Amino acid sequence: MEVREIDLHVKRNFDRWHSFLIEHGISGFAPQETAAIDRTFIWNEAGQIIATGSIAGNILKYIAIDDAYQNGGAMFNQVVSKLMNEAAQLGRFHLFVFTKPKYIKSFSYVGFHLLAEVEDGAVLETGTPDINDYLDQLPKINDQHDKKIAAIVMNANPFTLGHRYLVEKASRENDSVYVFVVSQDVSLFKFDERFKLVKAGTEDLKNVIVVPGKEYMVSYATFPAYFLKDDQNVGRFQAKLDAELFKNKIAAPLNITRRYLGSEPYSKTTDVYNDELSKVLPPEVEVRIIERKKNVGGKIITATQVREAIQRDDLSMIKNFVPETTFDFIKENIGLLKDRF
Amino acid sequence: MKIEKTALAGTVESSDIQFTLSASDNGIQIDLDSPVKDLYGKQIIQVIEDTLKAYNIESVKVKAIDKGALDCVIKARLVTAIQRSLGMDEPNWEVL
Amino acid sequence: MEERLRRTMMFVPGNNAGMVRDAGIYGADSIMFDLEDAVSLAEKDSARMLVYQALQTQDYGDAELVVRINGNDTKYFHDDVFAMVKAGIDVIRLPKVESAEMMQDLVKVIEEAEKKFGREPGSTHVMAAIESARGVLKSLEIAESTDRMIGLALSAEDYTTDLKTKRYVDGVELEFARNMILNAARAAGIAAFDTVFTKVDDMDGFKKETEHIYKLGFDGKSIINPRQIDVVNKIYEPTRAEIENALDVEAALEEAHRKNSGVIALNGQMVDRPVALRAQRVIRLAKASNLINEEGDFIEE
Repeated sequence: MEVREIDLHVKRNFDRWHSFLIEHGISGFAPQETAAIDRTFIWNEAGQIIATGSIAGNILKYIAIDDAYQNGGAMFNQVVSKLMNEAAQLGRFHLFVFTKPKYIKSFSYVGFHLLAEVEDGAVLETGTPDINDYLDQLPKINDQHDKKIAAIVMNANPFTLGHRYLVEKASRENDSVYVFVVSQDVSLFKFDERFKLVKAGTEDLKNVIVVPGKEYMVSYATFPAYFLKDDQNVGRFQAKLDAELFKNKIAAPLNITRRYLGSEPYSKTTDVYNDELSKVLPPEVEVRIIERKKNVGGKIITATQVREAIQRDDLSMIKNFVPETTFDFIKENIGLLKDRF
Repeated sequence: MKIEKTALAGTVESSDIQFTLSASDNGIQIDLDSPVKDLYGKQIIQVIEDTLKAYNIESVKVKAIDKGALDCVIKARLVTAIQRSLGMDEPNWEVL
Repeated sequence: MEERLRRTMMFVPGNNAGMVRDAGIYGADSIMFDLEDAVSLAEKDSARMLVYQALQTQDYGDAELVVRINGNDTKYFHDDVFAMVKAGIDVIRLPKVESAEMMQDLVKVIEEAEKKFGREPGSTHVMAAIESARGVLKSLEIAESTDRMIGLALSAEDYTTDLKTKRYVDGVELEFARNMILNAARAAGIAAFDTVFTKVDDMDGFKKETEHIYKLGFDGKSIINPRQIDVVNKIYEPTRAEIENALDVEAALEEAHRKNSGVIALNGQMVDRPVALRAQRVIRLAKASNLINEEGDFIEE
């Protein structure tokens, strides 16, 4: 048996790898998913693929082992070890895996810890820094466990008066509010910019703690849909998993007992997401869905409109939708932002 | 000496142990995951501490996933992780 | 130097903790820890350290301990040699040898390491793996390159590629290399090891190939699976008649020694040195096969 790395851009490699995975029950090779793969390894025996595994960012994906070579799990351990060592070579020491619940045990055996599990899937992590390190470094208040703590998760692309309204309300109704800013960089405004604008826009609210959500909040893009049945609603599934993670791994240790959400009249995705959160979080975490703030003209404020206005160079409209801190940033960088479209 | 750069060595295969070393803000912190922790946890931690001492490392976060490794394997993997973290080209022959 | 039995040389991947640990339990005459082909580039340091630590602490019994290091043209070469010399390895095996000079370069680094770590000068032996047409043609010069040489090994995978052929069941493609290496080794008074047989499930094919190289005169075979050990040992087992004859030769030697006689005769024939050496080898094989005990008495089943 020998192991080697293959380049999936070479058609023959891709075809052999692809058919091996199909034979082993893995389907769904959306271009955006296979394009995210950084490295792929195959194990050969007498010219035949007997196992494979890939690294995509900090996620281990497309792991499959031929039944005849399972060897009581030894082969699985070898594949995961190889992927972890190769990821370490790339400087990636904090890894995730999305898998079917029946494989939780196998991954736990090799040191992965379960973050969330729902009926059809689970997410686990390993390495360092992990969720405990993440929780440890979050700011806390005195006697946090006897206080009323709330949370808001936002992408804030960019931070608008609508966001501000939500944060203000939570700030008034609780002892302390965590604002988790989605860390994933797939938005017009980069994470650093979004984070800075949320901080600037809430600076006067002394009981608000703005923190990065890291990998633990709404990382839609990272979720591989490949082991779900075609008719399953991927969005709903992801939301469920995300809600479970928040409830058990974030809210419980931080004593967060309320989560604030903005109502979503325009986006089906957010609607589904809010719906799942409302099902999963209570009773431990109360869900408060807040009506969207309207601007002076009676229009609902959304970040989408702000982004559209940037594209049109419509600064006067933007001024009505965002706090001064956000407006100043957009005004100063409008050329740069427009170039990103 | 302090460990600053995160490094990994070893595997999670049977009879092996996998180490991840990273910066610590509180001296030597050892997190051991082992099927024989109740029986041999102390002994394994002793080997880890002795090896760190040999390299004069006073500050490090050690994550160890043990799969039934012998002392010599524990030492080998930990030394490799230390060398990787410190970017040592040549092993420190004196302490081996 | 007393010749030792080298019927089997078992390859052990140098980064596999379980296999490195268990290498001593199967009864291979030689154990070869591999730091070269079995170890990926990213794990060279890890494997070297694992083998180093294992050599310091593990009990591998009477087995001869060999390590296959990375070639002189790699950046791992120097550290491999130093670590293995410090660990007190018996034999360092250099891959892809094509000249006496390559072996002499290796010896220079070994000398440096022996000095640095206070090892007895000359205590680290070497052997060469022949893996190319050039290596085969130079095998005598390689075999005679240094006093530290204990053997030549044929490595057929690279060699057959170099020849523009591949491995066949009957081994016809290896005939010339086998004969060259064997004759070079014998001329230099060192051991000759045959290549591995990679199809671990084809025990019949393995047996045939081992019988063939046994007849040619090889000391033994490189193996990659412990299951192959018994097969080799069985083939190398001497017959009852061969053992009786060898015991007779030994008795004649002892008799001559007692009589202080320079002439050794057995059944009216002169016992010359080759006959005596072969008898010694048969007796070693018989003992290793558990056919006779230390006193030379047959062990009855």
